[in-house]
Amino acid sequence: MRPWLSTARGALPFVVLVAAWAAVSGAGVMPAMFLPGPGDVARTGWEMAKDGSLWVNIGASLGRVLLGVVISVPMAVAAGIVVGLNRRLASVLEPVASFFNALSGIAWLPLAITWFGLGWASVTFILWNTIFFLVFFNTLVGVRTVPRIFEQAVRTLGGARRHVILQVLLPGAMPSIVTGLRMSIGFGWRALIAAEMIATTTGLGFLIFNAQNFHQTDAILAGIITIGILWLLTDRLVLQPLERWTIERWGLVSSS
Amino acid sequence: MSRRETAVTWVVLLAAFLAAWSLASATLPVPPYFLPPPTAVAAAFVDLVAKGILPVYVMESLGRILLAAAVALVIAVPLGLLLGMSRGVADFMYPILNFFQSVSGIAWLPLMLVWFGFGEKTILIAVNYTVIFPVLFNALLGVRSVPRIYVNALRTLGGSRWRIVRDVMIPGALPNIATGMRLGLAYGWRALIAAEMLVGANGLGFMIFSAQSFHLTARIMLGMAVIGALWLLLDYFVLRPVEAATIARWGLVQR
Repeated sequence: MRPWLSTARGALPFVVLVAAWAAVSGAGVMPAMFLPGPGDVARTGWEMAKDGSLWVNIGASLGRVLLGVVISVPMAVAAGIVVGLNRRLASVLEPVASFFNALSGIAWLPLAITWFGLGWASVTFILWNTIFFLVFFNTLVGVRTVPRIFEQAVRTLGGARRHVILQVLLPGAMPSIVTGLRMSIGFGWRALIAAEMIATTTGLGFLIFNAQNFHQTDAILAGIITIGILWLLTDRLVLQPLERWTIERWGLVSSS
Repeated sequence: MSRRETAVTWVVLLAAFLAAWSLASATLPVPPYFLPPPTAVAAAFVDLVAKGILPVYVMESLGRILLAAAVALVIAVPLGLLLGMSRGVADFMYPILNFFQSVSGIAWLPLMLVWFGFGEKTILIAVNYTVIFPVLFNALLGVRSVPRIYVNALRTLGGSRWRIVRDVMIPGALPNIATGMRLGLAYGWRALIAAEMLVGANGLGFMIFSAQSFHLTARIMLGMAVIGALWLLLDYFVLRPVEAATIARWGLVQR
């Protein structure tokens, strides 16, 4: 298939969706205040882009996720490997990690506000909770599933402990770590939107929640669409390729 | 490590953790509401159970997530299977469902608030939305991922269309459906807590959020423990066994 044709086919469902939306809002089933048409939403989105407020909010949300990843992931991988080295410690801490996984995200918000007040510190704390425990758990599981024979092989050939860590455990756990990273950013992004509604005055979550106070449904829909597109782009262009590449590069294929 | 050793390790660790927590809350130079001791959390538990608030809130939150699970099973699974049957329809729906799946229910909450106001309806719609789309998406994906060769094999042997649906497509999609349910409910439980915080008048999310305004930190910690424990119980005793059994029974292993 020619490239333009496949692009057209990929866009077709969304063209139909937008047409259906225009038809429903145009038919006047609901007042325009409740369901503005695609044209109104596009115009509002364009205005927000022109006056810069859309970019400020996008930048704030993406920046927070990035900060959360930069702080949490190295800590989580390091902790996961250290704990994974010790079988006894690992079997004790695994349930602890899954408890915090179950709790991750928005449930921390009231405590975060009590400790850090409203603002970026609370949001970062929530993202840390969401990302750290998922990546930690996946690193731990990844390290523990590396067959011991590889470790013993390196040891037999005279490798030191750091060789085992750097050349066996870390690469062996890579696919599991990256899967954890992808999941944690999915959960983190959702937690962020909810946290921004309550605890901040910038970001896409704040944008849509604030618009709700003024019944600006066009701004809400423009925000929702931006949130969806940003996540799809992050997942398609960064996370999925990273996951596929890691599995191809480091995935353990046992030839039995 | 034997069972007994594990149990002993656990008790020792738990005791150490509680001791360190008590010590920290007694000695750290912070206001008492910052870090109440474990005894305060236990007292909050006894108090809220005695007043009957905690059981009611737990039932409210559980009821909402179970309703969403039932709706997903009864509506989203059959619909996803149906949409997946035809390649054309599936190709058309895939990007749309993927888009709606990736916008969390919480992002729709502001719009729902304008439409339905601050109330039960808004919470239910946000949670159901969050659970339904991953289930729908994965059911469709499951049908499409059944290898053509099984369909062809049954066709060659003279199987009817209905036989193919019943014996190939539905069993083949089951592992994906189980995974979709688990993911959808994991997102849904979190969305429920967030929605109860923003909209609620009851439920665990409302409990911890309203406690924050009154600096009832022990109540927040209690609520968090209940939220985490409920999800772990649901995940370990219902969702994981179902997923594992489904994959063991119907999972297609490619050789």
